[in-house]
Amino acid sequence: MVLREFFNKDVIALDLQGETKDDILKELISLLALDEKSEGILFKMLKRRENLGSTGIGRGIAIPHCRSLVVNRLRVAFGRKQAGVDFKAIDNEPVHDFFLIVAPPLEVSNQYLPVLGKIAQFAKESDIPDRLADIETPEDFLKLLEEKAV
Amino acid sequence: MAALHKQLEILLQIQDLKAQRDELAGATGERKVQEEQFHLNVDEAVEILDDKIAELEAQLQPAVLGRYRRISKGLPRVVVPAIGGICYGCFMSIPTSVASDAAGPGQEQLLHCENCGRFIYVVD
Repeated sequence: MVLREFFNKDVIALDLQGETKDDILKELISLLALDEKSEGILFKMLKRRENLGSTGIGRGIAIPHCRSLVVNRLRVAFGRKQAGVDFKAIDNEPVHDFFLIVAPPLEVSNQYLPVLGKIAQFAKESDIPDRLADIETPEDFLKLLEEKAV
Repeated sequence: MAALHKQLEILLQIQDLKAQRDELAGATGERKVQEEQFHLNVDEAVEILDDKIAELEAQLQPAVLGRYRRISKGLPRVVVPAIGGICYGCFMSIPTSVASDAAGPGQEQLLHCENCGRFIYVVD
Protein backbone atom coordinates (compact mmCIF):
# COMPACT_ATOMS: atom_id res chain seq x y z
CA MET A 1 0.00 0.00 0.00
CA VAL A 2 1.35 3.45 -0.95
CA LEU A 3 -0.17 6.88 -0.38
CA ARG A 4 -0.46 7.60 -4.09
CA GLU A 5 -3.27 5.02 -4.32
CA PHE A 6 -5.53 7.16 -2.16
CA PHE A 7 -5.18 10.52 -3.91
CA ASN A 8 -6.47 11.86 -7.19
CA LYS A 9 -6.40 15.40 -8.56
CA ASP A 10 -10.00 16.06 -7.50
CA VAL A 11 -9.04 15.95 -3.82
CA ILE A 12 -6.11 18.36 -4.13
CA ALA A 13 -6.48 22.13 -3.65
CA LEU A 14 -3.29 24.15 -3.94
CA ASP A 15 -4.82 27.54 -3.25
CA LEU A 16 -6.99 27.30 -0.16
CA GLN A 17 -8.83 30.55 0.50
CA GLY A 18 -9.65 30.19 4.19
CA GLU A 19 -8.10 32.48 6.77
CA THR A 20 -9.02 30.49 9.87
CA LYS A 21 -8.72 26.92 11.08
CA ASP A 22 -12.47 26.41 10.64
CA ASP A 23 -12.43 27.81 7.10
CA ILE A 24 -9.60 25.50 6.15
CA LEU A 25 -11.34 22.43 7.60
CA LYS A 26 -14.50 23.27 5.66
CA GLU A 27 -12.58 23.70 2.42
CA LEU A 28 -10.82 20.39 2.92
CA ILE A 29 -14.14 18.68 3.64
CA SER A 30 -15.64 20.16 0.48
CA LEU A 31 -13.00 18.32 -1.55
CA LEU A 32 -14.66 15.05 -0.54
CA ALA A 33 -17.89 16.01 -2.35
CA LEU A 34 -20.24 14.90 0.42
CA ASP A 35 -23.79 16.16 0.90
CA GLU A 36 -24.39 19.18 3.11
CA LYS A 37 -25.54 17.26 6.19
CA SER A 38 -22.59 14.92 6.02
CA GLU A 39 -20.24 17.88 5.65
CA GLY A 40 -21.71 19.41 8.80
CA ILE A 41 -21.33 16.21 10.82
CA LEU A 42 -17.79 15.69 9.60
CA PHE A 43 -16.84 19.26 10.45
CA LYS A 44 -18.08 18.74 14.02
CA MET A 45 -16.07 15.55 14.34
CA LEU A 46 -12.90 17.14 13.02
CA LYS A 47 -13.38 20.10 15.33
CA ARG A 48 -13.81 17.77 18.28
CA ARG A 49 -10.57 16.03 17.38
CA GLU A 50 -8.81 19.38 17.08
CA ASN A 51 -10.20 20.39 20.47
CA LEU A 52 -8.48 17.37 22.02
CA GLY A 53 -5.18 18.64 20.64
CA SER A 54 -4.08 20.19 17.37
CA THR A 55 -3.23 17.88 14.50
CA GLY A 56 -0.62 20.41 13.40
CA ILE A 57 2.51 18.28 13.73
CA GLY A 58 4.95 21.10 13.07
CA ARG A 59 7.05 22.31 10.13
CA GLY A 60 3.96 23.83 8.52
CA ILE A 61 2.02 20.58 8.21
CA ALA A 62 -1.27 19.45 9.76
CA ILE A 63 -3.10 16.16 9.45
CA PRO A 64 -6.72 16.67 10.51
CA HIS A 65 -8.32 13.25 10.83
CA CYS A 66 -11.22 11.34 12.35
CA ARG A 67 -13.47 8.39 11.88
CA SER A 68 -17.02 9.09 10.81
CA LEU A 69 -20.03 7.24 9.52
CA VAL A 70 -20.50 9.84 6.82
CA VAL A 71 -17.95 8.06 4.66
CA ASN A 72 -18.15 4.43 3.60
CA ARG A 73 -14.47 4.05 2.79
CA LEU A 74 -11.23 5.79 3.65
CA ARG A 75 -11.12 9.27 2.10
CA VAL A 76 -8.19 11.68 1.92
CA ALA A 77 -7.58 15.19 0.62
CA PHE A 78 -4.67 17.61 0.42
CA GLY A 79 -4.85 21.38 0.64
CA ARG A 80 -2.22 24.10 0.66
CA LYS A 81 -2.29 27.70 1.72
CA GLN A 82 0.98 29.38 0.91
CA ALA A 83 0.45 32.24 3.36
CA GLY A 84 -0.20 29.79 6.20
CA VAL A 85 -2.88 29.74 8.88
CA ASP A 86 -2.73 29.65 12.65
CA PHE A 87 -3.65 26.02 13.37
CA LYS A 88 -2.33 25.90 16.96
CA ALA A 89 0.37 23.53 15.74
CA ILE A 90 2.72 21.96 18.25
CA ASP A 91 5.56 24.28 17.18
CA ASN A 92 3.19 27.30 17.19
CA GLU A 93 4.16 28.07 13.59
CA PRO A 94 1.61 28.72 10.83
CA VAL A 95 0.45 25.69 8.87
CA HIS A 96 0.67 25.65 5.07
CA ASP A 97 -0.03 22.04 4.12
CA PHE A 98 -3.07 20.05 5.19
CA PHE A 99 -3.70 16.35 4.80
CA LEU A 100 -7.29 15.36 5.60
CA ILE A 101 -8.02 11.72 6.47
CA VAL A 102 -11.50 10.34 7.20
CA ALA A 103 -12.40 6.70 7.62
CA PRO A 104 -15.58 4.85 8.60
CA PRO A 105 -15.72 3.49 12.18
CA LEU A 106 -15.55 -0.09 10.98
CA GLU A 107 -13.16 -0.71 8.16
CA VAL A 108 -12.73 -4.10 6.59
CA SER A 109 -9.46 -3.07 4.97
CA ASN A 110 -8.09 -1.43 8.12
CA GLN A 111 -6.28 1.31 6.23
CA TYR A 112 -6.87 4.26 8.55
CA LEU A 113 -3.94 3.92 10.93
CA PRO A 114 -1.42 2.82 8.27
CA VAL A 115 -2.38 5.79 6.09
CA LEU A 116 -2.22 8.16 9.05
CA GLY A 117 1.21 6.80 9.91
CA LYS A 118 2.44 7.01 6.32
CA ILE A 119 1.35 10.62 5.95
CA ALA A 120 3.07 11.50 9.22
CA GLN A 121 6.20 9.72 7.98
CA PHE A 122 6.00 11.53 4.61
CA ALA A 123 5.53 14.88 6.36
CA LYS A 124 8.61 14.36 8.50
CA GLU A 125 10.99 13.93 5.59
CA SER A 126 13.33 16.90 5.68
CA ASP A 127 12.68 18.16 2.14
CA ILE A 128 8.89 17.83 2.16
CA PRO A 129 7.85 21.30 3.36
CA ASP A 130 9.93 22.95 0.61
CA ARG A 131 8.84 20.44 -2.01
CA LEU A 132 5.17 21.01 -1.16
CA ALA A 133 5.67 24.76 -1.37
CA ASP A 134 7.12 24.41 -4.89
CA ILE A 135 4.26 22.34 -6.30
CA GLU A 136 2.40 24.08 -9.11
CA THR A 137 -0.24 21.57 -10.15
CA PRO A 138 -2.14 18.65 -8.57
CA GLU A 139 -0.18 16.38 -10.90
CA ASP A 140 3.05 17.64 -9.29
CA PHE A 141 1.69 16.59 -5.91
CA LEU A 142 0.84 13.13 -7.20
CA LYS A 143 4.31 12.83 -8.75
CA LEU A 144 5.88 13.76 -5.42
CA LEU A 145 3.93 10.98 -3.72
CA GLU A 146 5.07 8.55 -6.41
CA GLU A 147 8.68 9.68 -6.07
CA LYS A 148 8.68 9.25 -2.31
CA ALA A 149 6.89 5.89 -2.62
CA VAL A 150 5.71 6.09 0.98
CA MET B 1 -27.93 10.66 2.49
CA ALA B 2 -31.58 11.56 2.99
CA ALA B 3 -32.58 14.44 5.24
CA LEU B 4 -31.59 13.63 8.79
CA HIS B 5 -33.83 13.64 11.80
CA LYS B 6 -32.19 15.77 14.51
CA GLN B 7 -32.15 12.84 16.92
CA LEU B 8 -30.52 10.65 14.29
CA GLU B 9 -27.86 13.28 13.78
CA ILE B 10 -27.10 13.14 17.51
CA LEU B 11 -27.01 9.34 17.41
CA LEU B 12 -24.54 9.45 14.51
CA GLN B 13 -22.33 11.84 16.43
CA ILE B 14 -22.45 9.63 19.53
CA GLN B 15 -21.52 6.60 17.48
CA ASP B 16 -18.61 8.40 15.83
CA LEU B 17 -17.37 9.69 19.19
CA LYS B 18 -17.66 6.24 20.76
CA ALA B 19 -15.66 4.74 17.92
CA GLN B 20 -13.00 7.40 18.41
CA ARG B 21 -13.05 6.93 22.18
CA ASP B 22 -12.83 3.14 22.05
CA GLU B 23 -10.00 3.26 19.57
CA LEU B 24 -8.02 5.69 21.71
CA ALA B 25 -8.69 3.78 24.92
CA GLY B 26 -8.13 0.34 23.44
CA ALA B 27 -5.02 -1.62 22.71
CA THR B 28 -4.91 -0.70 19.03
CA GLY B 29 -2.13 1.33 17.45
CA GLU B 30 -4.26 4.47 17.65
CA ARG B 31 -2.99 5.43 21.10
CA LYS B 32 0.62 5.08 19.98
CA VAL B 33 0.08 7.16 16.83
CA GLN B 34 -1.76 9.89 18.71
CA GLU B 35 0.85 10.08 21.45
CA GLU B 36 3.91 9.88 19.22
CA GLN B 37 2.84 11.82 16.15
CA PHE B 38 0.42 14.33 17.65
CA HIS B 39 1.69 14.53 21.26
CA LEU B 40 -1.86 13.93 22.44
CA ASN B 41 -2.57 13.18 26.10
CA VAL B 42 -4.73 10.16 25.35
CA ASP B 43 -6.12 9.57 28.84
CA GLU B 44 -7.23 13.18 29.07
CA ALA B 45 -8.69 12.97 25.56
CA VAL B 46 -10.72 9.87 26.50
CA GLU B 47 -12.17 11.72 29.49
CA ILE B 48 -13.15 14.66 27.30
CA LEU B 49 -14.80 12.32 24.80
CA ASP B 50 -16.70 10.54 27.59
CA ASP B 51 -18.03 13.88 28.78
CA LYS B 52 -19.08 14.84 25.27
CA ILE B 53 -20.82 11.50 24.71
CA ALA B 54 -22.74 11.94 27.99
CA GLU B 55 -23.68 15.47 26.95
CA LEU B 56 -25.06 14.25 23.62
CA GLU B 57 -26.88 11.32 25.24
CA ALA B 58 -28.65 13.83 27.45
CA GLN B 59 -30.05 15.44 24.30
CA LEU B 60 -31.81 12.25 23.20
CA GLN B 61 -35.54 11.96 23.77
CA PRO B 62 -36.41 9.33 26.44
CA ALA B 63 -37.83 6.84 23.94
CA VAL B 64 -34.82 7.21 21.64
CA LEU B 65 -32.42 6.95 24.56
CA GLY B 66 -34.19 3.78 25.75
CA ARG B 67 -33.90 2.12 22.34
CA TYR B 68 -30.31 3.31 21.97
CA ARG B 69 -29.35 1.79 25.34
CA ARG B 70 -31.14 -1.48 24.66
CA ILE B 71 -29.44 -1.93 21.30
CA SER B 72 -26.00 -0.81 22.44
CA LYS B 73 -25.98 -3.47 25.16
CA GLY B 74 -25.90 -6.23 22.58
CA LEU B 75 -24.66 -4.67 19.36
CA PRO B 76 -21.57 -2.59 18.63
CA ARG B 77 -23.34 -0.33 16.13
CA VAL B 78 -26.62 1.31 16.99
CA VAL B 79 -26.96 3.33 13.80
CA VAL B 80 -26.38 1.78 10.39
CA PRO B 81 -26.99 2.78 6.79
CA ALA B 82 -29.77 1.28 4.70
CA ILE B 83 -28.61 0.99 1.13
CA GLY B 84 -30.79 -0.28 -1.69
CA GLY B 85 -33.50 -1.27 0.76
CA ILE B 86 -31.14 -3.40 2.86
CA CYS B 87 -30.28 -2.75 6.51
CA TYR B 88 -26.49 -2.82 6.73
CA GLY B 89 -26.67 -3.97 10.34
CA CYS B 90 -28.50 -7.25 9.85
CA PHE B 91 -28.60 -7.33 6.02
CA MET B 92 -32.35 -7.90 5.93
CA SER B 93 -34.70 -6.03 3.61
CA ILE B 94 -36.29 -2.85 4.88
CA PRO B 95 -40.02 -2.71 4.08
CA THR B 96 -40.66 -0.39 1.16
CA SER B 97 -42.99 1.74 3.29
CA VAL B 98 -40.20 2.40 5.81
CA ALA B 99 -37.66 3.30 3.13
CA SER B 100 -40.12 5.60 1.41
CA ASP B 101 -40.75 7.44 4.69
CA ALA B 102 -37.15 8.62 4.51
CA ALA B 103 -37.20 9.32 0.81
CA GLY B 104 -40.39 11.39 0.62
CA PRO B 105 -40.28 15.16 0.20
CA GLY B 106 -39.76 16.95 3.48
CA GLN B 107 -39.68 13.74 5.52
CA GLU B 108 -37.31 13.70 8.41
CA GLN B 109 -38.42 10.65 10.37
CA LEU B 110 -36.38 8.64 12.81
CA LEU B 111 -36.46 5.14 11.39
CA HIS B 112 -35.38 1.77 12.66
CA CYS B 113 -34.97 -1.67 11.19
CA GLU B 114 -37.94 -3.84 12.09
CA ASN B 115 -35.71 -6.90 12.14
CA CYS B 116 -32.72 -5.91 14.29
CA GLY B 117 -34.06 -2.71 15.83
CA ARG B 118 -31.07 -0.57 14.86
CA PHE B 119 -31.64 3.02 13.86
CA ILE B 120 -31.17 3.39 10.13
CA TYR B 121 -30.31 6.23 7.82
CA VAL B 122 -31.22 5.77 4.21
CA VAL B 123 -28.42 6.28 1.73
CA ASP B 124 -29.63 7.17 -1.76
